[in-house]
Amino acid sequence: MTGFVDLYSEGDTFLHRIDARVKIIAVLLLSVLAFLLSSVYPLTLLLTFIFILLFLARATLSRTWFALRFVIRFMVLIVVLWPIFDPSGTPVWATFGPVKITEPAVWRGITSAVRVGCLACVWYILMFTTSQRDLVRALVKMGLRFDFGLALAISLRFLPTFSATIDSIKDAERARGMELDKGGLLKRSKNYVAVLVPTIVSALRSADTLSLALHSRAYGARADRTYLREPKMRPKDAVALSIVIAILVVPVFFKYALGVPL
Amino acid sequence: MIPLPTFDETPIAALRNIDFSYDDGTVALQGVTLDIWRGEHIALVGGNGSGKTTLAKHLNGLLRPSRGRVLVKGKDTAKQSVAALSRTVGYAFQNPDHQLFCPTVAEEVLFGPKNLGFAEAEAVEKAGRALKMLSIDHLKDKAPLSLSLGDRRRVSVASVIAMDPEVLVLDEPSTGLDAREAAELMRALDGLNKDGKTVILITHEMRLVAEHSERVVVMAHGQVSLDCRTRVAFSEPETLRQSGVIPPVAVQLAQRLLEFDVSPEVLTVDELAEEVARVRGART
Repeated sequence: MTGFVDLYSEGDTFLHRIDARVKIIAVLLLSVLAFLLSSVYPLTLLLTFIFILLFLARATLSRTWFALRFVIRFMVLIVVLWPIFDPSGTPVWATFGPVKITEPAVWRGITSAVRVGCLACVWYILMFTTSQRDLVRALVKMGLRFDFGLALAISLRFLPTFSATIDSIKDAERARGMELDKGGLLKRSKNYVAVLVPTIVSALRSADTLSLALHSRAYGARADRTYLREPKMRPKDAVALSIVIAILVVPVFFKYALGVPL
Repeated sequence: MIPLPTFDETPIAALRNIDFSYDDGTVALQGVTLDIWRGEHIALVGGNGSGKTTLAKHLNGLLRPSRGRVLVKGKDTAKQSVAALSRTVGYAFQNPDHQLFCPTVAEEVLFGPKNLGFAEAEAVEKAGRALKMLSIDHLKDKAPLSLSLGDRRRVSVASVIAMDPEVLVLDEPSTGLDAREAAELMRALDGLNKDGKTVILITHEMRLVAEHSERVVVMAHGQVSLDCRTRVAFSEPETLRQSGVIPPVAVQLAQRLLEFDVSPEVLTVDELAEEVARVRGART
């Protein structure tokens, strides 16, 4: 469960070292590019590029696979469902009763699937190489209010704790003879009340304690707090950012100014 | 003080050379073998992270060993559900807030017996007895989650006692209880033990162990470092110290007074006082 909550893995690749703000902007730009490109070949190229970056980030195969499982399932679903619900275009490849499978619809399905792949995997690069702490610090530096940043950091920090609490609660109820996954849908959802109530209560209790702890450590005493680490843009961050901007601008120029069908 | 356990042929719970590792690779138990007999009053002690809770969770199948076998009443837990095992082994969790969810204390305590399928009247009777035993029957219409920590803990213990299991596992039940509440809880457990229930107490409070448990199982680094009668266990301060356990003050004091002919087997303040009186009597 922890793996699901935090995809970050320690490392010292150039992707780990780049300023988190640059990574956030780069990932946003590449996401925009994925939306702007409408042809399958450049999108596949983009996906390949993203995979190379994932590889350079030393994302181990098992970790990547863990993260990709969901994406791949989703992509397959798009490829299968798109032609079924999109009967437009010719030539028609097959007809099953009211369902018409056409060649352009199949391609559109594949294109969308690749686009979704790009969008998901590009964010994995950020998640794999940026610790939650750096991520929040970058967002605050980019103008997010400090208290929002802190709230975000705390919620991320507490997700694993929360999931451990839920496991413990389930165990406690099972130890009292409850069979959580037995019975029909209604019975089962009723069973989960026994898990939900303690979960919410313990979340509220720990939030209460946490806020007291924050205040007792002078949280909010001054508006201008000291930051231990100030992220700084270095030349290589600027280079990385320029490269990504070029990757966005060049195809956009070709597509919209020169009319190349990308 | 406490009657000797009646040994029958098969232990009520037996761990046979079990290993256990958590998913993150932490080795929590290594080659643990332990026989627990019907009617025993056992304290499971050891430093934090020594494997006490992990071991206890094997008794009702919440955890299954990576290697080795766990037998409850002679049957392998691998083939039984936690719900089925909860009929034999009741387990009160460390954090009472992890199991309380009903709108009233009465319903909370009834929840377990109902799950086990007792007839309504019998379930009510068992729940009522458990509430009385922990002197919380005046709270029965209150919302469990609105109670103080001490009361919540007693409700969670009562809700397990109400299931009338043959083995009661209590994970640090005295935490958050004041001295009087803790004494009451221990008295209730001693009473159950006298009625033939097996009591397994996980605790850091060695005074309670000295006064109530007849056998001590000391855990260290996922292994049983000492398993003997309480009197013997506390006369091994070196082994205990290495396992992160310090004997209660009365025992420590008795050990310092050995040269004055005070018995090394003293466990409680009362016994120490008697010994001191005896020694002084012998002198004059």
